[in-house]
Amino acid sequence: MVGSTIDVIIFAPLAPIFGVILFWFIQLLFIESQKYFLSKIRDKHEPLCRFTNFLGILFQTICHALGYTVTKSGISSFYISVNYGKVAPKKEKKGIFEWMSNTFLFIGPFFIPSSLLLICLPFLMDHGFDIASTTSYTFSENLIAFGTNLYIFSEGFVSFLSRIDLLHPAHLGFFILLIILGMGTRPSFIGEKKREKVDMLYDLKNIRDNILYKPLYIIILFLMAYAFSYVSLLLKQNWYVALFSILGWLSIIAIVSLIVAHAIIILIKTTDEIPSPWKRLPYIVIPVSYLLMRTLFFFYPLGFSKCISLLVMIISTVLVVFLLLKYRTNKFKTKIDIKSLMKLGERKKDGSR
Amino acid sequence: MDQDELLENEKVERTLSPHPLSFMGLQSLCIFLIAWGALIGWFANFSEWKDIWFGNYVSIIFAWSIVLLIVGVIASLLTIRWRIFFLYLGVVAGGIGLIFWQNWQDGSGVAIPYYTILVSIIGFLIVELYRRSHKYIISSQRIVFKGGVITKEERTLRYDKITDISYKQGILGQIFGFGTIIPISQSGFGLGNDTAFAAGGVQLGEKKAKFLGLFGGGKEVQTPRTRSYYELHGVHPYKEVGKIVENLVQGNVITPYQQEQVAFQKEQVDIQKQMRDLLKKQKNAGEDKPSDEE
Repeated sequence: MVGSTIDVIIFAPLAPIFGVILFWFIQLLFIESQKYFLSKIRDKHEPLCRFTNFLGILFQTICHALGYTVTKSGISSFYISVNYGKVAPKKEKKGIFEWMSNTFLFIGPFFIPSSLLLICLPFLMDHGFDIASTTSYTFSENLIAFGTNLYIFSEGFVSFLSRIDLLHPAHLGFFILLIILGMGTRPSFIGEKKREKVDMLYDLKNIRDNILYKPLYIIILFLMAYAFSYVSLLLKQNWYVALFSILGWLSIIAIVSLIVAHAIIILIKTTDEIPSPWKRLPYIVIPVSYLLMRTLFFFYPLGFSKCISLLVMIISTVLVVFLLLKYRTNKFKTKIDIKSLMKLGERKKDGSR
Repeated sequence: MDQDELLENEKVERTLSPHPLSFMGLQSLCIFLIAWGALIGWFANFSEWKDIWFGNYVSIIFAWSIVLLIVGVIASLLTIRWRIFFLYLGVVAGGIGLIFWQNWQDGSGVAIPYYTILVSIIGFLIVELYRRSHKYIISSQRIVFKGGVITKEERTLRYDKITDISYKQGILGQIFGFGTIIPISQSGFGLGNDTAFAAGGVQLGEKKAKFLGLFGGGKEVQTPRTRSYYELHGVHPYKEVGKIVENLVQGNVITPYQQEQVAFQKEQVDIQKQMRDLLKKQKNAGEDKPSDEE
């Protein structure tokens, strides 16, 4: 398959860029949703919110410091707290250097946490790092190659997570890191009061301002991407798509870690509705059910034992939460929901009048 | 605080004790022991290297003890407290002694993890006992610091004797809302020293003529530091307690304006006294006059 020259020269390099932007946007939506859930449980779980704030600010500050280091501005002061982080450069550099350090500040927090996890993954995953080859270097082929790379990685990553051995120190460490980084993958924080900064639009506005501040730089970046694409094309290599695939992998890791963090936040939010001594039961069920299953499979070995143990752990936790909600709270008590009952009441009132 | 311990017109504002996570420095030593115990257990019994690296008891004991001692040295150097190293050395010596005493060499892959985890649990209990021994009473007139597991220690500090208050809050404290407040007294109680020392030596000459010189220098910085019994260590809610203490100190310490007022009032009293004396003299003089005329 040979693509047209215009397709190869102009459109093909855009394919993986679009792919990365799409995944990054999905990641942004998950971050926004996480921020919403965290702000909902803030009243009862302030330390947790402070902890996630700290993680978010830590990554943001590290990215800012990284930006100053890369641009050789130096770091004169580095301050970090639960509510605030600040990095001051030694030399105030203007132009491209300032733009680059700002780019690190705004984009970095989305990718730096997941890149820490990506570094660990080759030691834990059996497969998933294969790169699809390209022959004609057209837009569609680049897009397919990008999608294939992401699919192969996602398949490997999800299969690793489904077979994760929580009694293996490396696996357990990775899982804890996945949760912690999932909680902190965001550039803004949950403040004590609802502020503009909590909004997703704030993040997007910052990035847009940074692009519009010096549009020339973004054009230079695009030209560099195009140049790299042409080099890959001339050397008949798939380096260009591979580079953007790595960014896509980072987004996938971030999305998965955000999903896991979501599950934990939702569990916390749901158990808050259960009265006090019983609300601890789901948190006891999680390790106990897993350990029981693993002990059972230790004496009676079976295929997919780790996967089954994980499934039993999740199902039993959900079941316990459901049963506690049913028998210890007023939830699920009526067959007809409250809204329709209220409507019925209103209708009766209207009829009597 | 018992009623009989209270002074006249004294009222207890707050009774506090350190936050459960405020001794994380000590607790982290136990956490590391638990983690390392579980890890060595996994290495020796379940890992893919169990037969290659952990095939006999010597390698298990060696790996276990060397890691503990290295971590002990690093932690001691970082905190400048050699007691951490000696603590881990004690754990290692105890473990090795137990293995050989009970002839558990063959089962060391199981015994060592259990022993390590047991020691760390005991460590946690001791730290908790130590934490619970602290009690701080903030009254309307003074702060009483009480503590001690075996030997009981107590310090009383009146607000008018406080010259300075130091506040310290780590990341864990910021997350959970606790922190340390160090009241520094006029006598300097509550202040510690950070000392740095550097020394260098020079040797000149190869064979016959030799010259040896030593150069050294020291630096000392005063810093707010005291034992946890003599400070409000890891108190919760940190900001609220800080405000209470600050208000009580302000209420008991005389401000420059108040000093001026007191001086002015003294002056007024002196003037009034002088006037009274003068009046007395005049009165006396008035009473004496007729008798002279008589």
